Amino acid sequence: MFKLRTNSGRPVHPDVPQVTDLFLKGEIDRRAFLRTVTLLGVSASSAFAVTGATPAGAQETPKKGGALRYGSAVMEINDPMMITWTQPSNVLRNVVEYLTRVDEDNMTLPSLAASWDPSADLTTWKFKLQPNVKWSNGDAFTTEDVAFNIRRWIAPESKSSNKSAFSAVKDVEIVNDLEFTLHLSRPTLAIPEMLFAYTCPILHRKFVEQGGVWTKNPIGTGPYSLVEFAVGQKATLRRRDGYWGKAPHLDEIRFIDLGTDVSASIQALASNQVDLVPAINTTDIDVVKRLPNVTLLSGRAAQTICIRMQGTQKPFDDIRVRKAMVLASDNQKMLELGYRGLGVVAENHHVAPFHPEYFKLPPLKRDVAQAKALLAEAGYKDGLDVALTLGNTQGRWEQDTAQIMQQQVAEAGIRMRLDVKPASEFWPIWDKVPFGLTFWAHRPLAVMTLDLAYRAGGSWNESRYASAEFDAALNKATGIVDPKARSQAMESVERILQDAAVMVQPYWADRFGAMSNKVRGFRLHPATYNNLTGAWLA
Amino acid sequence: MARFLLARLGEVFGVMLSVSFLIYLVLEHNAADVAVKVIGQYSTEAQRALWLSENGYDAPFVQRYFAWLWRFVRGEWGSSTHYREFVAVLLPQYLSRTAILAGTAFGIIVPLAFTFGIAAGVREGSIADRVISFIAVGTTSIPEFASAVFLSAIFVFWLGILPGASMMTSGFEWPQLVLPVMVIVLYDFGYVARMVRAAMAEVMAQPYIRTALMKGASPARIVFRHALRNALVAPITVIMLQIPWLISGVLVTEVFFAYKGFGTLLYQACLNSDVALIEACAMTSVFVIVTTQLISDLLYTTLNPRIRFGIRKGEA
Repeated sequence: MFKLRTNSGRPVHPDVPQVTDLFLKGEIDRRAFLRTVTLLGVSASSAFAVTGATPAGAQETPKKGGALRYGSAVMEINDPMMITWTQPSNVLRNVVEYLTRVDEDNMTLPSLAASWDPSADLTTWKFKLQPNVKWSNGDAFTTEDVAFNIRRWIAPESKSSNKSAFSAVKDVEIVNDLEFTLHLSRPTLAIPEMLFAYTCPILHRKFVEQGGVWTKNPIGTGPYSLVEFAVGQKATLRRRDGYWGKAPHLDEIRFIDLGTDVSASIQALASNQVDLVPAINTTDIDVVKRLPNVTLLSGRAAQTICIRMQGTQKPFDDIRVRKAMVLASDNQKMLELGYRGLGVVAENHHVAPFHPEYFKLPPLKRDVAQAKALLAEAGYKDGLDVALTLGNTQGRWEQDTAQIMQQQVAEAGIRMRLDVKPASEFWPIWDKVPFGLTFWAHRPLAVMTLDLAYRAGGSWNESRYASAEFDAALNKATGIVDPKARSQAMESVERILQDAAVMVQPYWADRFGAMSNKVRGFRLHPATYNNLTGAWLA
Repeated sequence: MARFLLARLGEVFGVMLSVSFLIYLVLEHNAADVAVKVIGQYSTEAQRALWLSENGYDAPFVQRYFAWLWRFVRGEWGSSTHYREFVAVLLPQYLSRTAILAGTAFGIIVPLAFTFGIAAGVREGSIADRVISFIAVGTTSIPEFASAVFLSAIFVFWLGILPGASMMTSGFEWPQLVLPVMVIVLYDFGYVARMVRAAMAEVMAQPYIRTALMKGASPARIVFRHALRNALVAPITVIMLQIPWLISGVLVTEVFFAYKGFGTLLYQACLNSDVALIEACAMTSVFVIVTTQLISDLLYTTLNPRIRFGIRKGEA
């Protein structure tokens, strides 16, 4: 009765019927079903038909034309695979494209790749590209471009975070101009989703040859071209002719840098100088709510702060010290006081309750007496002095939260000093300080972060955590298709990480933005991978 | 006079030279640090070593300093690591925006401060004096970051008649200048007005004013012919000192309104450890300070005939 089709027209992956069955029996929810089958290459429209829902469509007929003014920092973009902030990717995303696209509901949809078919064991992925795609310089877009990019990410000398994200990728095999195959060393379900990570835009095969500075030579396959770019000031994109896909509505997108003071963004919005400010602080919510003609945007996102300890450094090399720190902290209180309760409490293992693979462990309990006992055992009877380094990279709430923790751990005799640095001074050392507070952006799947941050030798492994047991458990979980079985496999992953007391991870912070009522067809993306192709101005 | 000018120019030169040395010492004494800041944290040890030797950082410190100074004097100011642009291109662009902002503010502050200062100082203790002094002290004691918030609350959020951000991305727009100018004027005019008032009140108490009064001169004639020129002498120094303050002291206002001027440039340069840009900004500030002081000294001599620089006793 239900017909699930793949985008490629090939037969569906052998696990698809079972996942569909689980959904129809009510054992997994609609979201988990849609996300899983689309990752396996099933077309979104046929998957929606199974759920009985239709994709949310626009009620009004979009108006063509106009320029959208987008308030955001304009940062330098040299090599797109090396960017470390999502703001540059929002400029890039409209000019260069990704192989896949993950939408605002975390569903993976085709983009430059028209279809993908994983093998039954998830280690061989056959991709087919969109035909007739041309680069803005007239060259044809082929698998050669794709192979150039992926090989550059995983090359031994690569410094991109993509290198550890795609550590399972052994090789890219070019089948013909439009087909290529990824060979993996271990089963990985999330491959299509990972290809939309902000550091993965597909660049022209001659990118390195032609200087390796993207803004100097901004060739792309996307619907816009970069016409103006000044760091710290503005970036202007203009719609170009000859785009292969559905033409977007806006003629121009103007990124306007409003400086580091967020109040300027709100003021600019209030006086109609910008149309969209995709990121605002929780402290500005009340002001935005009171503004006429402005809509508050909000969304649940798996973004968080990790107050992590390096197990290779004194005094954190003693697990009793780390455990004491965790036991003395109260995550719920930090959420309430540090972020006005606008989020979900976290459990020190970097998997969110709203991640599809989440497994519910028994709730954490604060125990100051035990924390004290552990400290005494570790030889700190008279208390312990530590310094936490932080950079308020996302705003003052990072420091607010740290201050609450400071008071909490003081009860256990831990004297925590806060070493607050400007964001730009913090970034060069974020993964080097023994004790630091780091902001982690949203990833649609928890395993993507776990791969980067907690696998032994992961490129963003800031806690220097290394455990063969954890890596093995993680390998097992990443290869399971069935969301239910996958979540069960995550139990040991979460437990191992939580028991290792690597970090205090207080909460998952909701995201907030604001836009003028004139803007239609725009939704906040949980990872700030904002998509403007559907946006228009009324 | 020529001798005086030469001596002063020599002093200016000396100040700039010693400040330049201090700036270089603070920012570039550790060559390894500079390499990290310029080519980035992801650079390898070998890349840094190569960069250091290519850019002459192997030489001893003093030699490096003079090489840098020579390049700086010839206008080779290097390029900004944050803005990815030559400093020599960036600086005039941002400085001219601040010149517009500061110039407009200055053009309002001076007449306003003189009107109020004279009105208050003519009759010390009068009601006009009390009211003006109250306003002047009041506005001066509100810091810019507070008045910026108050004024935006009124004009942007409540009345909605002024633009709240002044980034001027699509060319120059006068309305965007109003709020930042208002903030600066509000903060600064009271101080200058108080200076004018004090000088005026002092002059008005002089015997020659009383003489003029008894001779039956009109109040207007007394104020404008007899008092004003003498009362100008002290405030002129104060006013000249406002210029360097306006160039770099507007930082708070510029950042608040996202105005892309010299203050923002300096702020971003410091936040991002942008060595070449900090050096150029600091040298520009020093240059502005010493030249305004020089001008203020010259004005002082013309206004006050009792002061003749460079002339020793007995020579006159």
